[in-house]
Amino acid sequence: MTEQSNDKAVQSRRAFLKGAGVAGVAGVAAAITAVATTDDAEAKSVEAPKSSGYRETEHVNAYYEAAKF
Amino acid sequence: MGSASQTTSEVMSGEAEAVAEEDMIRAQVYGLLAGLLMAPPCAGQLEAFKKLQGDQSEFGQALSALGELARTTAPEDIKDEFTRLFYGHGAGGELHPYASYYLTGFIYERPLAELRNDLAALGLTKSDATSEPEDHIAFLMNVMHDQITGVHGQPMDLDAQKTFFDKHVATWAARFFTDLEGAENAAFFRPVGAIGKLLVAIENQAFSIAA
Repeated sequence: MTEQSNDKAVQSRRAFLKGAGVAGVAGVAAAITAVATTDDAEAKSVEAPKSSGYRETEHVNAYYEAAKF
Repeated sequence: MGSASQTTSEVMSGEAEAVAEEDMIRAQVYGLLAGLLMAPPCAGQLEAFKKLQGDQSEFGQALSALGELARTTAPEDIKDEFTRLFYGHGAGGELHPYASYYLTGFIYERPLAELRNDLAALGLTKSDATSEPEDHIAFLMNVMHDQITGVHGQPMDLDAQKTFFDKHVATWAARFFTDLEGAENAAFFRPVGAIGKLLVAIENQAFSIAA
């Protein structure tokens, strides 16, 4: 793709996604992504402002780990 | 060391490789589904779900429906529903949320093996904290989330995201989400099925525009 057509595609993709209604999640994003993030170590070190029940869901954060190289 | 983690935020606010707002939102929808499908929601999650309010689009209405159910359903009822829907393969749960099951009729088959190869190539291995195989729908939603945000390093470009999505998600997830939406035991999870089904359709179309 040329720079220009690429740019155009990015714009129309953006417009499509914005029109699709997905932005409705934005209001709850912080709480949800904090729960869903998979980086175990990072999740544990987070100062939890929403600590009610945070521990209950810790296992949710632990689907996988980045392999150690 | 600090510079490695800074790179992401620099990239995010930079021009060329920015994680655009619409992509962060995609990641949040994937994160929402991952959280909902792995375990019954805890009190903190439920509080967040209560605030869900979409627009007039089909997707927005599914979000609003979930928000409404979060406000009106007792947490223990949601937990019971989760158990009836998902409790263990062969242990009586109504649904089997595994790629291998949907693609071959059996769990732990070749689609799982292929997924494991592709995850290894991405540098990801399953943690010991879950006994679920990697082709569980929640796991795959999580991988998509992380590919977009780059939790494990640089965000992956759209072509790479599309390759993974086409192979491991698009092949079966819409069928699973349709089953979830129509499941006998589903009430709270009905709009979750709708959200997932619509996300797969939206992603299919969005990838075809720009990836």
